[in-house]
Amino acid sequence: MTTADTTTPAIEIQGVGMVFNGGRPNEVTALTDIDLTVQAGEFISLIGPSGCGKSTLMRIVGDLETPTSGAVRVNGKDPRQARLDHDYGMAFQQAGLFDWRTVSANIELPLELMKWNKARRQTRSSELLDLVHLADFGAMRPWELSGGMQQRVAIARALAASPGLLLMDEPFGALDEMTRERMQGELVRICAETGATVIFVTHSIPEAVYLSDRVVVMSARPGQITDVIPVALGERNEDTREDPTFFASITAVREALRGAPVPAVTGSNSVDTS
Amino acid sequence: MSTVEAPQTQAPKPKTPSTDSGRWRSLLPPLIVGVVAVVAWEVLVRVFNIQKFLIPRPSSIIAALSTSWADILEGTKRTGYVAVSGLIVGVIIAVALALLCTRFRFMADALTPMAAALAATPIVALAPIYFKWFGATDPTAKQLVVVSVVIFPVFINTARGLLEVQNVQIELMHTYGVGDWGILREVRLPNALPFFFTSLKVASSLAVIAAIVAEYFGGQQGTLGSIITQSAGLSRYDRAWAAVLMAALLGIVLYAIVVVLERTFMPWQRAEARR
Repeated sequence: MTTADTTTPAIEIQGVGMVFNGGRPNEVTALTDIDLTVQAGEFISLIGPSGCGKSTLMRIVGDLETPTSGAVRVNGKDPRQARLDHDYGMAFQQAGLFDWRTVSANIELPLELMKWNKARRQTRSSELLDLVHLADFGAMRPWELSGGMQQRVAIARALAASPGLLLMDEPFGALDEMTRERMQGELVRICAETGATVIFVTHSIPEAVYLSDRVVVMSARPGQITDVIPVALGERNEDTREDPTFFASITAVREALRGAPVPAVTGSNSVDTS
Repeated sequence: MSTVEAPQTQAPKPKTPSTDSGRWRSLLPPLIVGVVAVVAWEVLVRVFNIQKFLIPRPSSIIAALSTSWADILEGTKRTGYVAVSGLIVGVIIAVALALLCTRFRFMADALTPMAAALAATPIVALAPIYFKWFGATDPTAKQLVVVSVVIFPVFINTARGLLEVQNVQIELMHTYGVGDWGILREVRLPNALPFFFTSLKVASSLAVIAAIVAEYFGGQQGTLGSIITQSAGLSRYDRAWAAVLMAALLGIVLYAIVVVLERTFMPWQRAEARR
């Protein structure tokens, strides 16, 4: 899946720094000196303690924040242009669905704003409902669905315009463990079907390992990338969670989070970019 | 990557829409209670021989209503005109102010305390002053009372609905490259609708009350307010009560219209309210 695309990388981040409230007494340095290149089709997780700036980094890629230093390119473009071109779809911890729209109409919202005609929108939303296994729920209202189902609708909405890039900020953070694992399985399947590049912010080590081609480990104060750990698990399925490599990778990420040297046993060449 | 088996989450199946018989069943209990209360009232007043200047019997109120029907109907029309026109103008002003607050945040900081101060002022007490401004026979003074009373609840609630939007939803609209106008149309306005209608229910009742109390202070004759004060002054209590009954009906009709509007403009809220 990591077959490196020789064309433009999906995301290039160079020397990015972010300072909030610069010059004021409550000045906070959220990110310093971030370098990261993400190839098209790669699944990257950002993991780290609270306040390490992982969400901020993702939001910079999505042009919801502007970095105070450094340069970001998304599909070779300025992030603002990429945002206006609908190059990415975003999902948050809260589903953020609109109660006044049916489930289908929620999924169709970005398409409506892109002036797709009604027939085309309906075809697309029913495809997406199939993709997230909610085919029978299109006519319902969001509050009639469970939390996991709402999150699946939010993911379908993020995928609506077939963006090549998905930005996901702890989308499964509010779900229970069982639902969460099932959603991870579905996300893996969806990514395989769509070939999307994903930046995934999470607090969960197993989640990061299960989903990712590379896990980017960050530290707080100031937010920095301390390690990038490749995960060589091949095709994911339910057995993956029992696989020794899975546990080895979890250990590698955990130790990287603690700041300990990563043992060579994992077979993963951790790249120290800090 | 292989497809991971994803068992379907069980969700509540779409509920069957409630039938007309269901609606009648929900109307039945209050209807029964109402009828029982009126019968009890009639019986108790007769049994204990309560003086009619204290509480007249329902039957004599109905009789007074039919003998003075022309006057009371005309009064209801006049009072209704003042209440409804004042309500409409007040709502338009309140919504405009709320939209202004959404566009310019500093307006919210400036207007909210002012609106609260306005609400704390006993507006109806200003009626005699308004009568001096506009002349006693001009309905403008009374309309102004209604407008002043209506503005506060509608403004405060609508502004809240426009401003208290999930941050995620705003950011989502940013990711779609949508500007302030699009956010207003797609997020803020629909989000404000339930708040608006809640306040409109309150305001519709307040409008009738404000109109009648304003009429107590004088102004044009032949309104419900003046019929009530005059009849009470002449000890025609059954006629006063008949006018009160019509005032109550006026308020109920306005409220019902608001409920119908609410259901028309917010179909998504209907099922939720029934849960």
